[in-house]
Amino acid sequence: MDPGRRDLLKLAALTTLVGCAHVPPQPSQASPPDRKTTVLFQPLLTLRLTTAATQDIGAVPYGRRVTFPIIGGSFEGARLRGEVLSGGDDWTVKRSDGVLELDARLTLRTEDGVLIHTTFDGIRDDAAPGAPYFRTRFRFETADPKYAFLNRLLAVGTGEIRADGPVHVVEEIL
Amino acid sequence: MNSRLLMTLQVVVEGAQKIGAVPYGTRVTAPISGGRFEGPRLRGRVVPGGGDWTLLRTDGVLELDLRLTLETDDGALIHMSSFGLRHGPADVIAALGRGERVDPSAYYFRTTPRFETAHPKYGFLNRLLAVSSGDRRAEGPIYTIDELL
Repeated sequence: MDPGRRDLLKLAALTTLVGCAHVPPQPSQASPPDRKTTVLFQPLLTLRLTTAATQDIGAVPYGRRVTFPIIGGSFEGARLRGEVLSGGDDWTVKRSDGVLELDARLTLRTEDGVLIHTTFDGIRDDAAPGAPYFRTRFRFETADPKYAFLNRLLAVGTGEIRADGPVHVVEEIL
Repeated sequence: MNSRLLMTLQVVVEGAQKIGAVPYGTRVTAPISGGRFEGPRLRGRVVPGGGDWTLLRTDGVLELDLRLTLETDDGALIHMSSFGLRHGPADVIAALGRGERVDPSAYYFRTTPRFETAHPKYGFLNRLLAVSSGDRRAEGPIYTIDELL
């Protein structure tokens, strides 16, 4: 790891720790076991998707299956930005317990022309306290050395359905 | 993203099966013979029989694909699956390979667990995503698992 990136990670770690201090303590945390390690996050990108008319497959053995074709969009972060190519999809299933499972594949194209294969899955629980609980897990694949850091990280996202389509705020797991 | 501790999980790995060079990289399967987990809302043991199906990619990143069964101290079974990545400086990875104790902050070892259970008391696990940070020990990894809030 180069020194510059290490400093960046440290800074992000501090920022995240400060952020965590505002989380109200939970009663269930009265006697937490020892933490061996700590999980920290750093903003990666915000992904805005444009979807076409849904394909309502209907009641399948796993629940109600609805496919959302992805026809475009954009993404932006400190280290990468660009557009979402048409041709991806989010294959969703609403489970018997009411939770929506997401399973998406799409291609990003950076502003300098690099294609990034992107997959994410996750859940949206509209019955959760403070609902919806809309969280995702992202992975990326690219052949371009400039963006190879994406091959080596895991990321998680917070989703939101807006009038013009879904928006995912994606953070790298440090 | 805010998260909070869900549990620490210690897994005992025995008898690595070196499958060898496959089209995607070098595959080693690590059978799980037991372990323990403990958190504010659940604790218990790891049922023998799970495994971590690992693949060392050509770019030096180790992909982890873990499946195991947790049994809580009140008898509920929980299916856990977890995809992860592990990589770091060559000397650090070599030390891990020799079974040496290494500061886990010296390498990247992160996973994203999911859980499935039929037990109503633990139904909240069906409805959350989690992330973990791993500490690779010679006898098996220790994961600090946070739920995403």
